[in-house]
Amino acid sequence: MKTILKVQNLCKSFEDTQVLNNINFEVEEGEFIAIMGQSGSGKSTLLYSISGMDRPTSGNVLLCGKDISKLDDEKTSEVRLKQMGFIFQHSYLLKNLSIRDNIVLPGFKLGKLSREQVNQNADTLMVKTGIDSVAEHDIKKVSGGQLQRAAICRALINQPDILFGDEPTGALNSSTSREVLDIINAVNTEGTTVIIVTHDVKVAARAGTVIFLMDGNIHDKLTLGKHDGDEEKTLFREKRLYEWLEEKAF
Amino acid sequence: MEMNWLIVKNDFKRNKVINLALLLFMMFSAGLAVSSVIMGVQTFTSISELYEKAQPPHFLQMHKGEINQEKIDAFMSDYEGITYWQTITMINVHGESLTVVGNKDTYNLFDCRLGIGLVKQNETKDLLLNSKHEKVIIDEGEIGIPVLLKEMYGMEIGDHVILTHNDVQKKFVIKEFILDSQMNSPMVSSTRILLSHEDFDMLKGQVGEKEYLIEAYFTNSKEASDFQTAYENAGLPQNGQAVTYAMIFLLSAITDITTVFVLLLVSILLIIVSFICVKFTIMAALEEEFTEIGTMKAIGLPFADIRDIYLNKYRILAMVGVIIGYILALSTSSIFTNHIRTTFGNIRMSPAVVILSLVVGCFVFLLINYYCKKVLKKIKKVTVVDALVRGKGFDKDNGHIKDGLYKSKKLPVNWLMAIREVFYKFKNWIIVFAVVLIAVLMIMVPVNLMNTFEVPEFITYMGSSLEDILIEVENGENLETNYGRVIQVLESDAGIESYYEYRRVRVQTTDAEDELKNLHIDSGDNSGNQLKYISGKAPDEENEIAISYLNANEIGKDAGDTIVLFYDDKEKEFVISGIYQDVTSGGYTAKSKYDFSELTSEKYSFSVNLKDNIEVEKKADEWSEIIGPGVTVDPMEAFINQTLGGVVKQLKTIVSLIVIIGACLVMLITVLFLKLRLAKDLSEIAVLKAIGFSELDIKKQYLIKIGCISIAGILAGIILTDVLGEKIVNLVLSISGLGVKKVELIVDPLVQYILVPLLLLTLMLLATWIVLRTIKRYNIISIINE
Repeated sequence: MKTILKVQNLCKSFEDTQVLNNINFEVEEGEFIAIMGQSGSGKSTLLYSISGMDRPTSGNVLLCGKDISKLDDEKTSEVRLKQMGFIFQHSYLLKNLSIRDNIVLPGFKLGKLSREQVNQNADTLMVKTGIDSVAEHDIKKVSGGQLQRAAICRALINQPDILFGDEPTGALNSSTSREVLDIINAVNTEGTTVIIVTHDVKVAARAGTVIFLMDGNIHDKLTLGKHDGDEEKTLFREKRLYEWLEEKAF
Repeated sequence: MEMNWLIVKNDFKRNKVINLALLLFMMFSAGLAVSSVIMGVQTFTSISELYEKAQPPHFLQMHKGEINQEKIDAFMSDYEGITYWQTITMINVHGESLTVVGNKDTYNLFDCRLGIGLVKQNETKDLLLNSKHEKVIIDEGEIGIPVLLKEMYGMEIGDHVILTHNDVQKKFVIKEFILDSQMNSPMVSSTRILLSHEDFDMLKGQVGEKEYLIEAYFTNSKEASDFQTAYENAGLPQNGQAVTYAMIFLLSAITDITTVFVLLLVSILLIIVSFICVKFTIMAALEEEFTEIGTMKAIGLPFADIRDIYLNKYRILAMVGVIIGYILALSTSSIFTNHIRTTFGNIRMSPAVVILSLVVGCFVFLLINYYCKKVLKKIKKVTVVDALVRGKGFDKDNGHIKDGLYKSKKLPVNWLMAIREVFYKFKNWIIVFAVVLIAVLMIMVPVNLMNTFEVPEFITYMGSSLEDILIEVENGENLETNYGRVIQVLESDAGIESYYEYRRVRVQTTDAEDELKNLHIDSGDNSGNQLKYISGKAPDEENEIAISYLNANEIGKDAGDTIVLFYDDKEKEFVISGIYQDVTSGGYTAKSKYDFSELTSEKYSFSVNLKDNIEVEKKADEWSEIIGPGVTVDPMEAFINQTLGGVVKQLKTIVSLIVIIGACLVMLITVLFLKLRLAKDLSEIAVLKAIGFSELDIKKQYLIKIGCISIAGILAGIILTDVLGEKIVNLVLSISGLGVKKVELIVDPLVQYILVPLLLLTLMLLATWIVLRTIKRYNIISIINE
């Protein structure tokens, strides 16, 4: 397996507060990583630093061998557009655009494929995620689950190498949450690397590896193996994860 | 109450930028309104006070040559309605006879194209006054110089003026600069210099040429026109121009009336902008407070209480703004009234002006108050759920743009995003559009007015044709001899391309009330050909006649009507071919090709075009020398420059000021608007950055948006200038009752279509670029953490 993301000696501080201390880890292509930790442990900061949303104070983040921590705004934007997809806790869709327009926008911006092709890909994604019926709708007129699926489609429209998620189901109810997770799992199964931050055991149990962060350090790592969608196995993974977390007084 | 005050105080601390912007706009509105009032009232009171004190004549006949005073007295005393008359003697000297020895330099007035007349002070009427509107008393050896010459040459009190003529030389010291109610403007071809009685009597007969000013006063100044007919028919002296009160007033005040008009127009436009901005800023401020408003509603505060919290804030802002604006207007009014004070005297600000400006200040306050109340009514419609749950703003239409972005085939994404927003959400950008439109209107109308005054063709509005040289042979004993001399020179000069000859004759016709009235006709082959016509055209046939606008009004006829002329015991019918505008010869003239050979000539004039390589001024001087006295030879361009130079100079100062104000205005509004817009778009920008748009992409989008809106505003402004500009100017002209009713504004395409649009566009894009530097801070993380 090829290493897609390599984090080396990553530190991040805000004024006098050190949030991340010398973080080192590697992510292989096609992996599904969940980052967990208590509030204030630095998990979101870590996600933003490795996804180029924020700049680390020191250290390197190598995406496909290229250090993205030192790129200028123009180059960082290009990396985000070409290689990354991002799902936030809230969908953050643009209000002037319909669901479909929100999804095709990054595709149009990248310009790698023809606009017809981008539109076709958007259609495919919307059918897959079950929001094709609301494609032309205003974002204020659809449910939270549909919005989050649209955000996933937007993140996937340029077929990114890696998909980041910051509490992607944090604002959803349990059944919608499960549907969204199924989509993320499916994307991962198709080969896209996924890194998400969550405090929800059910979400983290879908990941192959769980990283536990404490006081800005990687405290521990748990390998759960590839999730295959089997419900019984899922329950077992969740139980294992609970026990592991209990040891850490989570 | 205490709680309200606390909320207001905290709000001032929190929203410094918005509150400061609001304060500025309120200050601006009040300041401009008060300034306009001060300027308008001061202009008209200064002029009317000068006229009241100086008492210019209701009718003035200038005459060169001898007079029979007894005959004049007899006619005047018999004429009903006359209250007073006088004959003033004036000694005409040429500019080259006068040399000024100042502190710094010595210069001669040879280049002064105005006729200079030396006079002594009158007893009670047609007085020459000082800047305090007091009658000027000059002692022997002293001289009073008109402000017009002071402005032209920069003379100072205490400078010496040396009069040299033939063998006579006399030295004077400048004691006062005088205001001359009837010859105060370069548009009048003469100016008067005041001497002491002793010096005047000593010089009379020794220097210059005598000219008489025969002046009459009536119970009603409007009788002047009828009087003129009677006077001329009585065969009284008339070797010179006859002018009525209305024309004196117009010619003296045209510069300042134009100034006041332009400044009032600009003020009104700026007040409109200020009000738009007040509304916009309040809306933006309330938008920021939306959650607070929702919270207040949620805890049960009634609408009136919530409104009062904001209203109190705006009332305090408005009060402070109006007071500062009022003080600023009072303290800066002297800048705008400077020319008025120089030309019409330094009168103190009357209590009426102070009271009126106070009333206007209060009115602006009440208007802002009313306006705020109206805007704040929107709070009533806000529901708690909208504010706290749905996060909706006041903007009703905040849905997505229906015409899908996905349909676009080629347009680059940044253009696509920007143009769609501007096109479909135009309402959000309307303030920029309106301000640019107003700025264009504000700059272009005065610029076009200035162009119109500046181009040589403007003279055609004044009843003169546009040629290289204008030669006038004035009435007098030597009229025919002088005419012969002119013809001789013109026939023999090889430098002439072409020349036209006009002969002025006097006939009679009936006015609208069926009373006989004199009509002065310039007859000649080319007569009336180069004038601008309000209606109809120049006379083509021998039975056609074109009449001036003022004549048309008095006679009550229009183009196409017939008119009967009485002359030499005959009557002849003419068709009125057209109506033109004229301010020369009192504005009452007519043009015809018919030669009226039976009549004696009153005056001859010639318009001469020279060959391309001939220097006009040199030729004019040469002819002037050959032909001698009794004939004026004026190079047209120099003549125009001196006549209209004052208006153009004054307009140039104002236009420069307006361009600066306009430029600052569009920049200020762009900065303010964009700051508020960016605050509103904060999360959208952060999202765009998060999904892969660079800062440059976002900057491009805003530059395109502002660029498109500016271009739309500029285009609309240009169209409006073309459509409305002339209408506004002509409306003012017709209200002012001048001899000019319709002016076609002359557009300088380079300025109107290229320079001004480019200047405004560049400034707005520059302001946008500067403001956009702040988007560096916009980050999705800050939005998430909010």
